[in-house]
Amino acid sequence: MAGDAEKASVKFDAVQKSFGNVKVLEEFNLEVQPGEFLVLLGASGSGKTTALRILSGLETPSAGRVHIGDRDVTEVLPKYRDISMVFQSYALYPHKTVAENIGFPLKVKKLPKEDMESAILDAATQVQLEPLLDRYPRELSGGQRQRVALARAIIRRPSVFLMDEPLSNLDAKLRGHMRAELKHMQGTLGITTIYVTHDQIEAMTLAHRVAILEKGVLQQLASPSEIYNNPANLFVAQFIGSPAMNVIHGALDGTDFITHGVKVKTRVKGSVAKAVAGVRPEDCSVTDASKGTISGQIYTTELIGDHTLVTVNWGDDQIVVKAHKDFDGKQGDAVGVKLPPENLYVFDETNGERIR
Amino acid sequence: MRNAQAKFDLQNRSLFDKMFEPPAVGKMAPVAKVVVYSFLAIWSLFVLFPIYWVIITSFKDAAAVNQGPSYIPFLDFQPTLDAWRINFTADPYCDMAAIARQIYLLAHNSVVFLLSPVVSIAPMEPQICKIYLAFTNSVVISIISTIFCVAVGSMAAYALARIQYRPKFGNIMIFVLLIIGVIVVTTYAGVPWWVSSAVALALFFFLARSIGRHFKMALGNGDILFWMISQRILPPIVVVVPLYVMFQAVGLLDTHLALILLYAVANLPIVVWLMHDFFANLPIELEESAQLDGATRFGIFWEIVMPLTRPGLAATTLLILVLNWNEYLFAVFLSTVKVQTMPIMVAAKNTGEKGVLWWEMCAVTVVMIIPVIIMSVLLTRFISKGVLLGAVKG
Repeated sequence: MAGDAEKASVKFDAVQKSFGNVKVLEEFNLEVQPGEFLVLLGASGSGKTTALRILSGLETPSAGRVHIGDRDVTEVLPKYRDISMVFQSYALYPHKTVAENIGFPLKVKKLPKEDMESAILDAATQVQLEPLLDRYPRELSGGQRQRVALARAIIRRPSVFLMDEPLSNLDAKLRGHMRAELKHMQGTLGITTIYVTHDQIEAMTLAHRVAILEKGVLQQLASPSEIYNNPANLFVAQFIGSPAMNVIHGALDGTDFITHGVKVKTRVKGSVAKAVAGVRPEDCSVTDASKGTISGQIYTTELIGDHTLVTVNWGDDQIVVKAHKDFDGKQGDAVGVKLPPENLYVFDETNGERIR
Repeated sequence: MRNAQAKFDLQNRSLFDKMFEPPAVGKMAPVAKVVVYSFLAIWSLFVLFPIYWVIITSFKDAAAVNQGPSYIPFLDFQPTLDAWRINFTADPYCDMAAIARQIYLLAHNSVVFLLSPVVSIAPMEPQICKIYLAFTNSVVISIISTIFCVAVGSMAAYALARIQYRPKFGNIMIFVLLIIGVIVVTTYAGVPWWVSSAVALALFFFLARSIGRHFKMALGNGDILFWMISQRILPPIVVVVPLYVMFQAVGLLDTHLALILLYAVANLPIVVWLMHDFFANLPIELEESAQLDGATRFGIFWEIVMPLTRPGLAATTLLILVLNWNEYLFAVFLSTVKVQTMPIMVAAKNTGEKGVLWWEMCAVTVVMIIPVIIMSVLLTRFISKGVLLGAVKG
């Protein structure tokens, strides 16, 4: 068995990456603590996978330095970085059995056969694969292949674990299951993990901290609850949460947010001609047309199960409200929506910055 | 207008539907069946009849051939072993001892080939049974040159599929100018070719590293690939005379090495093109994953890439093997006595004084076909689909 995991920190120091004229990463700074589970979250093309590939050494940065532990690895060959990676596609070797796949990292290290076999069994046991060791990848289900990829990554006990959307090829039910297993495994092994995903639920559930990327720029780096409750800007606010945060266009005047002539009380102060108010669906409530902060017609209602989503028209905006599951309003009914000032976020529309 | 809701009844269909519509999913309509199977039957006739014709003709004598087409042995004509006797046993040197000696030479030469040009390949003794000599020549030349060609070609193809090259256009121009210089100096100033080539090569590296740095325009992998395949655009007959002169200059005429090298080089573009496609279609994550796990570039090629491209490799090998086995033009120019191959034996049956000896030619042809059939059967076992199944997608 390879030596026990040496928890390593990871540091991106002003890393830049361009492909031709396309800037994929701009001045990317990120510090990951030893043993931390960090999720890089972003839409496709946000540069999250590029950041991961730069750390793995499969891609070289155009500028900046990369550190693992106290070592500068910017120019170090991938195999000397002591990392292992789980690819979105699993990248299993189809002509090798499960055991040979899992043991491959040790085979290239020319480990003695007995050591290798016990290590393979050990890694396979951790992901419940022992009965399948003699099978070929084509004989496995998606979830089993995923486990093989995981086992191959953990067998070396790397100092850093990289995962590139490892769950996105699984069906929804299995994804939830594997997510829990991944989190448990990371907790047990305590290996520094950097996990790339576009799925906010994976990010919220797995991460110690989430780094949100957009167009190669780090938007916010914080714990999941901080990201949810205290978004740094409009992009983060809209990216996190399902259904997404409602946005209402208007202007900020003093402590009032003015939208279509209606004054809405807020907890912030300022004067912005073009402002956006954000409020999460679960923080609003539906009332009689006369009692709401604002009022409009119901666009549609959707029963989700434990709640009903009510979409209300307000000018050009639509406001989604999470209402009680027994809500019985019909399309076209006039209703009021209550917007609590303490849960109202205000952003400058021109640059998306939060006004505090 | 027919009612779309009408129940489907297998028996009560119009005649047209019965003929043209499949009775069930996964089955063929009667008309389609007839058309497809008749095409297949006609096609297999086209393929199989010539082979049958060659085989029966090899058992005919001059009279049976000249009396016009006859198709069925014993009914149309009386089969004889004359053609076979003339080719094999009638040759005074075709006894068992001679064949044993030939087999020894074959084994000896395949080992010695690895040491050539340090050690010269022992000539297959020309006085030994002609057809046996030609057969061993063909085997040695086509197998060795195929292995060489496929090995070098697939490595080149892999490099082109995975590494981005940016050769400077200016450097290529320098190279071309230097080659012209070598030709001029060698032909008009009488400088030995190896001296001028060595000087030009040294000069090229010097210039490429000094002036070459300032060139901007660069070519890419696509251009290299096209340049490679462009080697095959030229009709071989055009290059045969220069090749003859070249091999004469280096003293390799009528040697195995000359044909082996020439076949390997001539087929290299085909291998590079075919294998490049196979390599480019391999998911790159497999190699990246192996790279992170600590495998070397050569280790990745050998342990991951090669096993996964085995079907492609087998198909390419078979194609090159057949091309080499059947090659006539280069062989007829570059061999005189010692390294004549099977196609030349076949062509030799078209004699000046006696006309075409069809029956003898067919006997040689049958001998020539058999190894190809055996190789095809052996190699098609590797040309199976689904090797990549389970690699990257669910």
